[in-house]
Amino acid sequence: MKILWMYHNLMDLYGDKGNIMVLKTRCEKRGIPCEITTCTIGDQVDIDDYDLFFLGGGADHEQSLIFEDLLKRKENILKAYENKTSFLLICGGYQLFGAYYLDQDGNKIEGLNIFPYYTESSDRDHRCIGNIALEVSIDQETFKAVGFENHGGQTKNVATPLGKVLYGHGNTFDGGYEGFVNEQVIATYMHGPLLPKNPRIADIVIKRALAKRSSDITLEPLDDTLELKAQEVMLKRLKVSI
Amino acid sequence: MNPTITFVKIAHQILSKFGRGGSLPGQIALKMDKNILSKFKMPKEVILVTGTNGKTTTSNLIAEALRKTGKKVINNHRGDNLNVGITTLLALNAKSDYTIDADIAVIEVDELTVYRQFKNLHPTTLVVTNFFRDQLDRAGEMETIIRRIMEVTEDFEGRLILNGDDPNVLRIAENAKKAKVALYSVGKNAVSVKETDEASEGKFCPICGQPLHYEYYQYSHIGRFECPNDHYGKINPSVYIDSIDYDNATFTYNNHTYHSYINAIYTIYNCAAVLTVMKELGYDPTLADDVFQHYVLKEGRHETFMLSKPCEINLFKNPTGANEVMKEIVKYKGDNNVCILLNDNDQDGHDVSWIWDAHFERLNIPQIKHIVCSGTRAYDMALRLKYESLEDKVIVKEDPKEAIQWLDEQNLDSFVLATYTALHSTRALLKKRERK
Repeated sequence: MKILWMYHNLMDLYGDKGNIMVLKTRCEKRGIPCEITTCTIGDQVDIDDYDLFFLGGGADHEQSLIFEDLLKRKENILKAYENKTSFLLICGGYQLFGAYYLDQDGNKIEGLNIFPYYTESSDRDHRCIGNIALEVSIDQETFKAVGFENHGGQTKNVATPLGKVLYGHGNTFDGGYEGFVNEQVIATYMHGPLLPKNPRIADIVIKRALAKRSSDITLEPLDDTLELKAQEVMLKRLKVSI
Repeated sequence: MNPTITFVKIAHQILSKFGRGGSLPGQIALKMDKNILSKFKMPKEVILVTGTNGKTTTSNLIAEALRKTGKKVINNHRGDNLNVGITTLLALNAKSDYTIDADIAVIEVDELTVYRQFKNLHPTTLVVTNFFRDQLDRAGEMETIIRRIMEVTEDFEGRLILNGDDPNVLRIAENAKKAKVALYSVGKNAVSVKETDEASEGKFCPICGQPLHYEYYQYSHIGRFECPNDHYGKINPSVYIDSIDYDNATFTYNNHTYHSYINAIYTIYNCAAVLTVMKELGYDPTLADDVFQHYVLKEGRHETFMLSKPCEINLFKNPTGANEVMKEIVKYKGDNNVCILLNDNDQDGHDVSWIWDAHFERLNIPQIKHIVCSGTRAYDMALRLKYESLEDKVIVKEDPKEAIQWLDEQNLDSFVLATYTALHSTRALLKKRERK
């Protein structure tokens, strides 16, 4: 599996590198070679060479730094998308793939405009912050997931969310739904990081990435006792049935 | 007679008799008069100390060093750095006309609220230690913290004593129009490195946005940096630590040898801040040496308890702090066990994802036999260690009492890392098991 880790040195707010560690370890334990390539501003890569495109969250300043560079890669992103590269987008990465971002002063900042959802800023003192639990429905599977959300942006016009919110906010204040999903893309505000405590999402990301080069993928089960225990502690605390 | 001040002092006396105290008097004072903080007539010299790490130690060292000059100095030595704690300090040291009975006030202030304290406390000096990535859910982005501080320091007419080796702190100097700026810096030494995997924020020139070039890193993003286009980073420090001798725990400044209370790079920075305060206020910096030599750290910082074998407890709260503590643990060559207590209460921050930014792979060494994970997020910690191939060494005991008991029963030297809300309860557990 070939992972392209975008702007690893800029879009690395709180623990997103944990997602990469999980993907690599879960591949290697199954004997699947996993190669990670980092790509930052100005680096020459063909995204289409990769099975998975990973873009994490960054602080506002870092996000503004990468945007121009990301925009230059739009054609390349669309080509890779056409050729079945899959995408995992967290927080800022999620927002940037939408139509636009409306900041506090009402300025409209264009996004990559690959998907029709858009994000409106909320005022500084109101952010969606806290633990979050979802019921995820993806690739014919339904299961619980946990994470931590911390975003001011309110993402709207999401036709196909990643999951239903069981505890927390989601895309908008008390919005009921979180993230965006289609056959190749998983986009979410969930940090935590996302993948360690949600091994089923991790395996779906791996399966989708491998699907670029091969069909009929089955992943051997791994011992997820610790993963599920950590998830269970949080679900119990949030009074969500397991 | 001033009813509020009098009442607060009486309340403090009564509370102290019962072994209580803390910041309850300040709570009472604020209940009686919510504007009380703006009413105090502050001493001639008011030194505020802020930053992410090292605030409590640095402000205590500054206060102690200034006491050596014979001045009457008050300070909030326990690190109660919010409104309530600061009010307690001032109310207990105020006369009935709100005059503070001291020559100098040294006040540790929370970095998130310091910008609001300027109008109340009328500082003459602001000391900023460093800015690291901290609990995001509580603190928000570091950028917001820096910008808010710069809004008040832009027209500040006092002294700014700043860590010149922190690109995030140096921005305050660039932006200040009226202040007298004094920087401190530490020269290349045995722990300085050319490359690092620790730096997070502050990688770019704030003027042109180009990546900063580092001659060396000391720890995290602290080091000697410069903008490739010459916009930023050329400094002329007021205090420069020439050399550090880690074998003897000494360092030199201006041809004088000082003794450090702990043998670690971040403590040298704390000492450098103190020396700069002494110099800039016109006192003899060498008076501080005695303070450095005999300083006893705050509870839960390098504190050792005699269990079946010695057990050292340390606070950890963000990736930089965790990395530095781990560097010290791995220096210990004998077999040992480690216990990590990870809580996610309000003061710890609810978001524990920062543990994925800290370098726990450092604990993957043969002399560390077991790592006990405890606290409200014990399983998150265990999972983090699993990803450093430490699964076989990990034991989960959610209840801290069981974790400490287990540690004691192993008859092996041990190290405990505890987040803020776990620190005091764990100290109590350790104290209880201590052999006399």
